[in-house]
Parts: sequence; C-alpha cells; structure tokens
Amino acid sequence: MNLKTAILLPLILLLGYKTQAQDCTLSIRGKIIHLENNEPIEAAYIWVVEAKEGAVSDKNGNFTVKNLCSGTYTITIQYLGHKGINDTIKLESNTFTKTYRLEEEAMGLQGVEVHGHRDAVQTTTAVSALYGEKLLESRGENLGESLSRISGVSTFSTGNSISKPVIHGMHSNRIMIMNNGIRLEGQQWGAEHAPEIDPFLADEITVVKGAETVRYGPEAMGGVILVNPAPLPTKKMSKTSLNLIGGTNGRMGNINLVHVGGSDKIKGLGYRIQGSAKRSGNVKSPEYFQKNTGVSELNLSSSLGYSSSKLGIEAYYSLFHTELGILNDSHTGNLSDLENIIANGRPFSDGEFSYDIVNPKQRVTHHLAKLKSHYHISESWKLNFQYGFQLNHRQEFDKRRGDLNEKSSLDLELYTNTIDLYVNHTHKNELSGTWGINFIQQANSNVPGTGVTPLIPNYDMVNIGLYAMEKYSKGPLEVEAGVRYDFRNLSTARYINQELRTDDLNYQNFSAFLGGLYHISPDLTFNSNLGSAWRPPNVNELFSEGLHHGAAAVEIGNAELKSEKSFKWINELQYDGKKTHLELTAYLNPISDYIYLNPTGEVYVSLRGTYNVYEYLQANALFYGVDFAGSYEFTDKISAYLKGSIVHAKNRDDANYFPFIPANRMDWGVSYDFAKDSDSPSNKITLSNVLVARQNREPDFDITPPPPAYALFNVSYQKQLNIGENKLNLGLQVQNLFNTSYKDYMNRFRYFTYDMGRNVLLKINYEF
Amino acid sequence: MFNSRKIFLYAILFAAFTFTACESEDPEPENDGEVITDVILNFQELDASGNPVGAVSSFSASDPQGIEVGATPTIETVELTKGKTYQLNIEVRNSIENEDITEEILEEADEHQFYFLGTAFVGSPILTYQYDDLSGELIGVQGILTVQQNPGFNNANMQLILRHDLDKNYPGAGNPNFQEYAMAGGESDLDITFPVVVE
Repeated sequence: MNLKTAILLPLILLLGYKTQAQDCTLSIRGKIIHLENNEPIEAAYIWVVEAKEGAVSDKNGNFTVKNLCSGTYTITIQYLGHKGINDTIKLESNTFTKTYRLEEEAMGLQGVEVHGHRDAVQTTTAVSALYGEKLLESRGENLGESLSRISGVSTFSTGNSISKPVIHGMHSNRIMIMNNGIRLEGQQWGAEHAPEIDPFLADEITVVKGAETVRYGPEAMGGVILVNPAPLPTKKMSKTSLNLIGGTNGRMGNINLVHVGGSDKIKGLGYRIQGSAKRSGNVKSPEYFQKNTGVSELNLSSSLGYSSSKLGIEAYYSLFHTELGILNDSHTGNLSDLENIIANGRPFSDGEFSYDIVNPKQRVTHHLAKLKSHYHISESWKLNFQYGFQLNHRQEFDKRRGDLNEKSSLDLELYTNTIDLYVNHTHKNELSGTWGINFIQQANSNVPGTGVTPLIPNYDMVNIGLYAMEKYSKGPLEVEAGVRYDFRNLSTARYINQELRTDDLNYQNFSAFLGGLYHISPDLTFNSNLGSAWRPPNVNELFSEGLHHGAAAVEIGNAELKSEKSFKWINELQYDGKKTHLELTAYLNPISDYIYLNPTGEVYVSLRGTYNVYEYLQANALFYGVDFAGSYEFTDKISAYLKGSIVHAKNRDDANYFPFIPANRMDWGVSYDFAKDSDSPSNKITLSNVLVARQNREPDFDITPPPPAYALFNVSYQKQLNIGENKLNLGLQVQNLFNTSYKDYMNRFRYFTYDMGRNVLLKINYEF
Repeated sequence: MFNSRKIFLYAILFAAFTFTACESEDPEPENDGEVITDVILNFQELDASGNPVGAVSSFSASDPQGIEVGATPTIETVELTKGKTYQLNIEVRNSIENEDITEEILEEADEHQFYFLGTAFVGSPILTYQYDDLSGELIGVQGILTVQQNPGFNNANMQLILRHDLDKNYPGAGNPNFQEYAMAGGESDLDITFPVVVE
C-alpha cells in the first residue's frame, strides 16, 4: 500500500498542476479514520467524480484535492475491507473540511490489515514510537536503552545492566509502562529496579510524552511507555521470526523466536508464542573488566485471540526472569569506603572476564496474565473489558558473612490485580469518546527470613478511578478533553524494633486534560495538550528507613507526605516533507509538592563507620525543556539526522536544582544508502555521534561533581536480503568506536566506574 | 456458532472469580543477622617469654540498636601500660541474635582482615601490632601488641577496621598498619575508633 501511495501521490500532484489552467483554486480537505477506533486510515482512495480528480490519504488519514472550481461534487471514498462512502458536497469557499469514518465490512473484517505504522494510542499529545527498522537496530538492548533512541527519552541507570527510561526528566513511579495494555506493577520505586519487561515481545514501543493521568491513572504524570505486540492474525497464516544477536563486550549472546499463526478451521482465531534468552558476562570498560556485571535472562510470552464482527477476546501471558550481577566495587561498607572509591574513580582491581554472577546480585521474576475482551453493542458503541494479574518476585542478594550469603537480603512478593471496564462510542458525526472505570488492587509482602529489617512495609493498596474522555474531530482539527477521579487507600504493617506499626492512608484526586491537534497542511501538524496529573507518595517515600549500601546512605521516609500535583503543557510541531522530517517539542511542567530525597547534611555513626543521612522532602518544582528531531535527504544516497533534548528541573523553594536530571544531549549522524532505488531492500551504513554535555545544572549537594562532557562515535550497517518469500536482516554495529573512557551523569555507578567500552554487535533477523 | 454476548459475560465472570482479592501477609519481625552490635578488645599481658601474666583486661564498643539513626555507639577508652606486650584478642558479637561473629570471621579467614590505624599506629607510633592468628593466616582476630617504652604522647586513637572481600595478595595488604587498605578492594564491615591512654 505504501508503494501505491508513493506512485499515486506524484501522479495526483501532476494532475493537480495540469488543471491549474482553469483558474479554480478551491480545495477539499478531509481526514479518513476508522469508525471503530478513530485510528487514521492511510492510503484510502478518494475520488471527486465530477472533477475526475483523486487523492490518497496520508499516514495521518489526511487528504487534499486541490484546484477545484466552486460547485457540487460527489466524493467517493474506498478502502480495502471497508464500506465505501459516497458523499455529495457543495464547494463554495476554500474552507471545506470534513472527517469521514469508514466502517469495516462485517464479512471481510478478519482484522485490520496493518499497513505501515499506526500510533498505538490516539491522543492529541506528543507521541513518538520505535518500530520497524529502528526497533530492529535496537534489538539486544534492554527496554531503557532501546527507548533512549527516542528524542526526549534518556536513561537512569545503575551500571551497564540496569537502566530505567526517563521521559522529560521523570522516571520510576512518575512514568507508567504498559505491557500489552496492562500497567506494569513491579517495585518501580527503586533506582536499581529495571522495568520487568522483554523488549522482544514488542512489535512497537511507543512513548507518550504528555501527562496521561486521565487515560491511564495516577503515576502517568511524566509520560507513558506502551510496549505492544503486533495484533494477532485473524485468518490462516503462519510466520516465524528468529533473532540472533552477539556482542563482543560482555561476550553477550541473545536469541529470540516468535511464531505467529492464524487458524484455518476457526475463523478469527490466532495465536502468538515468543521466547527469548540472554546471557552476558563481565562488561569491559576501556581499561578493565567490571567485576560481577553478568546478566542471565529468560523471557516468554504467548497470546491467543479470537475475533468476530461483534466480539473480540484475547488471552495473554508473559514471563520475565532475570538474574543480574551488581558491580562488585559498588558495594561499599561505609562513607569512607565510598569516598575512597570515588577518589580512585574506578574499581581498585582490573578484574577479568567471567560469566559468573555472584553476590551482590538481583533475581527477579515477573508474571503477567491478562484477559481482554470487547463487544460491539451496536455500530457505534463498543464495550471493553480487561483483567490483568501480575506477580512480581524480587530478591536482592548482598555480600554477607557465612550462611547469610545464601539468603536474599530483600525478598518481596507483589501481587497486582487490575480491572478495566470501559465503553467507546464513535459516531458518523464528529464526536467520539471513552468512559470507563479502572480498579487496581495490590498486595505487597516481605518474605520472612532475610535477616534484614525490611526496607518497605507489607501493604495493601486499592485504587478506584472513574474517567471520561471525548474527542471532537473535524477535518484537520481534533480537540480532546477528559476528566478523571481517583481514590486510593493504602494500609501498611511492619515491625520497628519488635513493635508492630500500622498505617492507613487515603488519597484522592481529580485530574483533567484538554488537547488539540491541527493539521496546518498535509505535511505540517501542530498539537498542544494541557494535562493535570497527580501521584500519591510511594511506599518507599513514606516508610523507608534503612541503609542503602551502594550509596552509603541512610534513607528516611515521611508518612506525612502529600500527593504530588502537576500540570504539563506540551506543544509539538511536526513536519513530514518529502525530504525533510522535523519534530519539535516544548513543554512546561510545574509540580507542587514534588517528592525528592534530600541530603540532611548529617551523618549517622555506627560501628561500621559513618553514613550520609537523606530524608524525603517536598518542594515546588518546575520542569521545562525542548526535544528536537529532524532528518534530511540530501540525495537518494545520502541522508542525515539530528536529535537532542534539553531539560531543566528547578527547585523553586530554595533556588536549587534536582539531582539526576539528564544533561543536555544531542545525537547526529550521516547515512549512505547502497540500495539502487527506494524500493530495493535496505543496504545502509550510518555513522553517528552522540554528544553529552556536563550537567551544569547541578544541585548544591552531591557526593561527587558531575562527570565531564563526552562524545561517542558509533557505526552501524544494516542490510536486508530477500530469500524467496523470506527476509533476512543483517546488522553490524560498533558502539563506542574509539573505546572512549567516559562517565554519564545519569548512571549511578559513575561514582565507581567508567562506562562500557567498545562493543561490536552482530544482529541477525530471519523471517520465514 | 458462538453467542458473542454470552462469551463476553463469561469472560467477565471468569475474571471476577479469579479476582479473589489477595491480601498481603502479616509482617514478621526480622532480626538483623548481619549487624555487629559489640566489639570487645581483650588484652592479655605477656611476659618476656610470651607467657600470660595477670588477668585479661577488656574494652568494648557497643551499639545495641544496630542500625538506627540518632544513636551513636558507646566506646570505652583503652588503657594500656608503657613498655608492656599484650596478646590482643578481638571478639565481635551480634547481641540481637546473640551470635558470635568472630567464628564466622575465622571461617571466612581468606575474606577478612583487621587493620590497625589511627595516631596510635601511624606516624610516630606508640603501639606496634603483629598478626598472630592461630591458623597462621593474617586475620587479626589474635595478635601481639607492644606499647613503646617511651611513647611521644600518652593519648592516642586506635582505629580498627575490618575489611571484607579484600585481595590479601595486594602489595602491602599484609601490613597491619596499611593505610592504603582500600586499594586492596573489598568493603569495611567495621570502622571504630577507640581512644587509647598509655600510662
């Protein structure tokens, strides 16, 4: 279909120029979307009968038929598998715009065929996605690393194996990660707790950069990450995809196998099964090996779905299991140990290569099961139901004496049940919307027998949310608004000095948003979204009391903390020209009662030595910044891209900056395409350069100043081969080409070590 | 043919049934097995031929709460006599669990080592220490400590550091007064400074 567009568009443009002689300058503009879900339809065919002029809708569903004289016209719209539309319109002025909703034909339904790319979420806020070739290039990386390929998204990491995504300076509990529609509920509060999700299960990873609390519930204040597999097939088919990845640094091996099938016997029945395994050993910094930095990962996912014209049901299960070593030298006994290694700037010994994972280490298992169903009550009303169950089991092992070394020092079991019940309505007129109720129930237990006073208490949490959103679309304009009410109860229980202490806390909040999107021209889109959001304090912020070994810090929670409240105003200008692509995002995000960990300046003295004391405080914060991304094709062969982001995070109460906010960064590159023409399989080499500035907006207190700026060079080569019906993708990448020694401000282990050195990766993907 | 509406209802029912609200377990008090609450220095005077003379004098440092902010450990002043030689035995205990951690240190002798620093041992030392552990390894649970005949001063500090997971083969690591102990890697399990008075 994309090919067709590519051929038709210039044709249509040519036709347009021909008719210019008639001196008629009116045009018909419109947008074509799916009746069912408001998703834009790309490559629908529009024909203006009287004028014998046509157009093809672009990827946003927009079309324009130019150079028409005033008069009455009949428009016919056609798209594969959908009921055609015949519309008679009167064209008098140049302001004619209309949105057409195409209904899928009941007979030919069998799932929507996916042509190119569609946004995973229909919103008026800024959205960026990683899919297709870009996603293929990122294979082998963890979720945080993959996402940092999107401008405005960076990582907050703990060494080279744990990384958390950061959207506009926010991470952990301030952003939400959705695993195939279910909010991921792990122990996300911890800086060293990576998201429990396998990027291989995704066909597309989408980042919503605006506040989406109304749609997704509290905690989606900084943004949302959607990790979505491809839709299940609804007709007979069978496809398998194999990924094999090898990396020299850490001697990493990674395999992934996905099989997708559609049933022949039962129409509308499809399934997918996927599994991946990863093993790597000690990471090498340019001059030494980082001791105990291996990773062992095993993941599975499967889904089974049935869909008919009225009903859709999908059952899904995913398992994530990882065991990963924590850099040996990061485990410091006290403040003087910490100061010693910071002064040394790197581990004391050179280490050697090993696949062994010893203490300190983490072992995490995450199960997620969901059942999703929708039912079309009528042509314009759809009822949706989704249930999710999650079990997260996290064990952290410390270096300990004697038999205790075999025992985990943190052992948490977190059960989460989520229920979503909502109705969508879409009509032939301009209004569509979603009303729903969302229910979350959570139980967290410390498994006894660790021999360590638990860092966070056992707790039960219940959250009920009610929400409604409506969207008005007319031609190039979309306006969307929504409200939500949430109530949360948290009851906790723990022993402090052999005494049982319980707390019962309630939080509630209203949140709302208003957003708009306007297609200024078919190439140029502007959107703006103002959303309020809130986040109740997390259990660790309320109740932490204990020692944080890596940071030689004692962290003290505060049960009196209030909910954080924020407004995020985000604006995006997007230009999609033939040779130029531009994306500019700017945002302003004031937060009241922002919760942060503040050094008290006091030290705690024990027989083991001294520690810095930190406490959780609240302050008024202001986050603002810009992201930009652009690319330009100089010739058929040579193209270049540039992307970057700047984020400011100020503490407005005491004119200070918050720690661990990404420094200014920029990434640019040049590609040379060996392919003969744009339709040949890709065969491309890219040289790229990452520039990261020193974080000059540093807080008054930090145990060490931010590391200097650095520049890295990467090379990647991507080639696609067609072997009969099958496709083979080969990728060769060299990361950190010059084996540069550097430290990143957002890596907590910059205190202890330099980052990863050169890494050569071979990535093979075979689809058959 | 499926009855779509029925299936949808069944799906809801099934999920509601599965949704048997699971509750968190009741918490159980956890005893900190790792924490060192007491360090006792036992000094046994030795005569010229290495035989014990008189009674053992003990000095301790204790922090009964283990890790708790606000409380500081109680540390006794070590009193020694000029010119005398002592056998120093260090005892490490966890009073919360009533456990003798010294045994664990001896079991993992290859991973543990005491260092003796502070003004008493470094610079112009008034005390000298040599390892004398029963196993022959350099641990510091037992050692010989000699007080100078004519010390330059009477009041000093004795910093006792127990390193865990260090590289014992690191050059210099065999010296009980090795100031660069951090270079041998590992982490501190203990770091206490006792005041010392010699008379």
